[in-house]
Amino acid sequence: MSGGRRVAVVAGGLSNFGVRSATWSELVQEAGHSAFGAIRNFSPQDVDSLFVGAAQPERLAFQSHVAPMAAELLGFEPSKIIQRTELACASGQSAIRSAYAAISAGLSDVAAVLGVEKMNLPSMAEANTSMADVLDRSWDGVHGATAPPFFAMCAQRHMLEYGTTAEQMAMVSEKNHRFANSNPTAQFYSKTFSREKLLKLPMVAPPLRLGDCSSMTDGAAGLLLVSEELARKYTDTPVWVRGTGQHSHFHNLSGAGSLSSWPGLRAAAQEAFRSARMEPKDIDLAEVHDCFTISEILEYEEIGFCPKGKGGQFVADGRSDLGGEVVVNPRGGLLGCGHPLGATGVAQAVEVLQQLQATVPAARAVKGAERALVHNLSGSANVHSLMIYAREN
Amino acid sequence: MSTPSEANTATTTPGPAASGSTTRPSSEAQSADRPPRRTDPVPNPLPYLLDFYPQEDPKFTRIAPFFVALRKGSFTTTRCDEDGSLHWPPRVACPKCRGEKLSWVELPKRGTVYAFSAVLGGAPLGMEEDVPFVVGLIDLQGAELRLFSRIAHTKHEDCRIGMEVELETFDLPDGRVFFRFRPSAPR
Repeated sequence: MSGGRRVAVVAGGLSNFGVRSATWSELVQEAGHSAFGAIRNFSPQDVDSLFVGAAQPERLAFQSHVAPMAAELLGFEPSKIIQRTELACASGQSAIRSAYAAISAGLSDVAAVLGVEKMNLPSMAEANTSMADVLDRSWDGVHGATAPPFFAMCAQRHMLEYGTTAEQMAMVSEKNHRFANSNPTAQFYSKTFSREKLLKLPMVAPPLRLGDCSSMTDGAAGLLLVSEELARKYTDTPVWVRGTGQHSHFHNLSGAGSLSSWPGLRAAAQEAFRSARMEPKDIDLAEVHDCFTISEILEYEEIGFCPKGKGGQFVADGRSDLGGEVVVNPRGGLLGCGHPLGATGVAQAVEVLQQLQATVPAARAVKGAERALVHNLSGSANVHSLMIYAREN
Repeated sequence: MSTPSEANTATTTPGPAASGSTTRPSSEAQSADRPPRRTDPVPNPLPYLLDFYPQEDPKFTRIAPFFVALRKGSFTTTRCDEDGSLHWPPRVACPKCRGEKLSWVELPKRGTVYAFSAVLGGAPLGMEEDVPFVVGLIDLQGAELRLFSRIAHTKHEDCRIGMEVELETFDLPDGRVFFRFRPSAPR
């Protein structure tokens, strides 16, 4: 960590994720109740800053200026900083990073974070169009590309160059769905997906099948970050932000490079580990951005959990499962929980908080977990954002 | 739904209208070699380039020459006079050296496929009738440029990495022109 004040995460909570019979505002209130409704010694007036991660409310909820709307819904009257953060699929983590930066710099003492997205409309084409607009719309999106064909091309090149198989990709989905099966807030809670079943689901963007892709999901999540001196006012078991890294290296797909390597993630991870004074082997659990199965495989490699090109073998050998050297996506991942863009990064942090506080159900608990990493990619994996948390300050 | 683009594989530039155009109004006189279009207004015309208003002319953009050239069958971009870097898409200042002295240069119209996939469902607005369609990253032959494009007039099963493709332009029902690639005709 660099020079500023230390920052603690003291509380978090979620709405249920899924195809929800609830509006954007209603999801905010559900997550707010869960996150901020039962914190020791907490009053909404304590919140001096609010950061709202929301990717596409203009198109998907027909609403802008959403941060003050969320403040009103949650009973906050921020007097230091109130803003929305937008970084597509990483909008939620972007809100957390902003809260962390504000507290670290001394501009805020108590910062609430809310991530939210309402994606399911009567017309699915609206959300598909909005996803195409995440790319360079005028030159890439206009050819009809949304996320699946881009990540399909990454899978095609990774399979060609490193021998990764469809079965290894299905193993990522099988593992994450097994975790989601015991997570009541997950879109695919209590659903079972065997590898055999996953490999028979229809193709969405070859070689990616339906089970290789995360879903269009409605959901919200909240988190409370505070300065070091206030941490134990709100909880006996704070979790500490220990490091962070981010890298952006292209936008138009002409700059995407080989597709089978993500050097931007390698750079962002190195910065996160450097700032946390840790190495990949120090991490007990990782919530990484499995928007597609191939993403998680590339992330093992670029974050440094396994050598380049060995990500498929890493999951096949069970090394990212319970009992392995790093448990990846015990929450259920984006594949199992769904992917409400603005909410995802916050929901991952809530999982890390609960894992490090040892309050998750046994079926997905990482016993004795001390240190955790959270990763989000956004867009065409052109931006990577990471945070490292630990029980120890 | 019918896919008019599939029926016009032999048409040369300027090519056939975008598929799905049969339900959109035409704002221009039809030329003889185009497929027939409905001209009655539809209640909710769908934007094809994911926007609602054409903004490719000089009133709205400084890179309008790209579209003027494209209409004449030329595929162009900008090159920086200062550091020589080739841009994609065309720019009004060099992202590398920030120089504003740029020249329009001609790009190759042939390329090879570096990677590809297909959209089998979940297309954006205005493109639902195109499904299924192929997209890919294309290395232009003789230029240091890889760009993303639709690959028309083919099926995913018939494509392969390294396949040769060539540029075609096509007219949009709102009067605009755009580009895509298609498998190369044998030389």
